[in-house]
Amino acid sequence: MVFKVDTTPALQRVENPVARLLPIATTLFATVISIQPAHIPGYAALTPAFTLMAVYHWTIYRPDLLPPSVLFLVGVTQDLLAGVPPGVTALVLLLARAAVLPHRRHFVDRLFPFVWTGFTMLTIGAMLFLWTLHCLLDGVLVDFRGTVFRAVLTISMFPIASFLLGRTQRTFMGAG
Amino acid sequence: MIGLSPPRRAAVQRMAVPFLVLLSATLVILGKADQLMFESLRVSVTDTASPALDVLSRPLAAFGHLADRTREFLSVYQDNRRLVAENERLLNWQQAALKLASENAQLRELLKLTPEPAITFITARVIANSGGAYVRSLMVHAGRENGVARGQAAVTGEGLVGRVSEVGSRAARIILVTDLNSRVPVVVQGSQQRALLTGDNSERPCLNYLDAGAEIKIGDRIVTSGQGGVFPPGLPVGVVASLDGEAPRVEPYVELSQVEYLRIVDYGLADGLPKPIPIVSRSGRRAEPLAGAQLGRR
Repeated sequence: MVFKVDTTPALQRVENPVARLLPIATTLFATVISIQPAHIPGYAALTPAFTLMAVYHWTIYRPDLLPPSVLFLVGVTQDLLAGVPPGVTALVLLLARAAVLPHRRHFVDRLFPFVWTGFTMLTIGAMLFLWTLHCLLDGVLVDFRGTVFRAVLTISMFPIASFLLGRTQRTFMGAG
Repeated sequence: MIGLSPPRRAAVQRMAVPFLVLLSATLVILGKADQLMFESLRVSVTDTASPALDVLSRPLAAFGHLADRTREFLSVYQDNRRLVAENERLLNWQQAALKLASENAQLRELLKLTPEPAITFITARVIANSGGAYVRSLMVHAGRENGVARGQAAVTGEGLVGRVSEVGSRAARIILVTDLNSRVPVVVQGSQQRALLTGDNSERPCLNYLDAGAEIKIGDRIVTSGQGGVFPPGLPVGVVASLDGEAPRVEPYVELSQVEYLRIVDYGLADGLPKPIPIVSRSGRRAEPLAGAQLGRR
C-alpha cells in the first residue's frame, strides 16, 4: 500500500467553509483523542502525540488553514485539559510548525516513506525537547524510557493518521 | 488583519510565530513559578469541556467493554473453575468474618468506643487522562455540584487511586499516587514501618523515609497511615514489588490506566489538605507557609 496525498505545492484557494475548517477541526479532534482514557494498561503514559501528527500533516499540505494562533490556542487547551503546565504543548506545536514549514515543498507530492521519515525526525526532536523541558520544570532527571516508548508509538501510528487525514482532505478539498 | 495593507499583513504574519513561541514560553515559566495562577482558567476549561469529553469517551469505553466481554467469553471455563475454588475459600472466610464481627461488636460495647463518622461517597466516571509521560492525573465527570471537594480520596474497590487536586462545578482532577507530585504517608502492614509513598511518574511509586533498619520484603502490604490528615488510616494502596534501587517500589492494587469509574470518598478529612500557597499574597507580602504543605504541592 502506498500512502500518498495528491497535493500540489501551490496552495489553491478553498472556498467551501467546511473544508476551510477541516485542519482546525481535525487538530482539535486529535487533541481530544490524546486525552481519552483508553482503559489499556500503561496506555496513558504512552499515548501517541496525535496532535503533532495533525500539525505535521496540515503544515505540509495546508499551512494556510492552520495558522500559528490556532496552534497556540489548541496547545494551551490541551495543556489545560491534560493537567500539564500550560504552554508546553503550544510551544512544541509552534516549534514543530516552524521547523516543518520551510521544508514543506520537499514533502508535498513525495512518496509516503519520505514523509514518514520527516515525521520521525520531527517526533524525535519534539520528544527530546519535551523530555528536556520536563526535566528542567520538575528539577529531576525524568525516566527517559517512557519518552522513547511514546516516540516509537507515535512514529508507528503515523501511517494510519496520515492515511485518514489524507483521505479526509481529499474528500473535502479535492486533490488540491 | 483585514484592514492591513499586504506588506503590513506579511510583517504581522512573520512576527506571529516568534511572538506566540515567546508567549508560550512565558506561560510555561509563569505556570511553574505560580501554580495557582492558571488554576481558575484550568478549572473553567475543564468544566466547559467535560460534557463533550464525557460523550466522546463513551464509544471508546464501549469498545473496551466489547474487548473485555470477548476475553471473558474465551476464559469462561477457567474462570468458573477458579471461582468455585475461590468460593469455597471465601465461605470459610465468611464464617471467620461473622465470628470476628460479633466479637468486635461485643468488645466495642464493652469499651464504649465512639463510632467512626459515617463516610459518604459518590461514584464518578473517568472522562480524560493526562495523555503523556510527565503527569499522572485523571479527569472525572463530577464536581462541586456533586459534592466533590479538594483533598478527598479517590478509591476503587481494590484500593487508593489518588486525591482530588482541582474541582470545577462539573468536573474534577484526580492526581494519581504515581504522579511526580504525589506524596502519601503510608505504613507497611505487619511491621508497622511508616514511610512516604513518593510518585515519580513511573508505574510503581517509591517508599521513601523508611527507618534505616526497616525489614521490607516483596509482597508486604502497604496501606495509608493517616498521618497528615488527608487520607484515613488503613486504605489499601499496594504491595511491595521490588527492592532493587535506592528505595523499595510499590505496585498499586489499582490498575490506574484501566479505571473507568471511581469513588470519591468524603472521610470528613478534606480540610486537612492545606490550601495551595500563592507565591506572593495579594497585598504584595510573602504568604506564610502552612503546616504539612509538602503534601499539597498541587
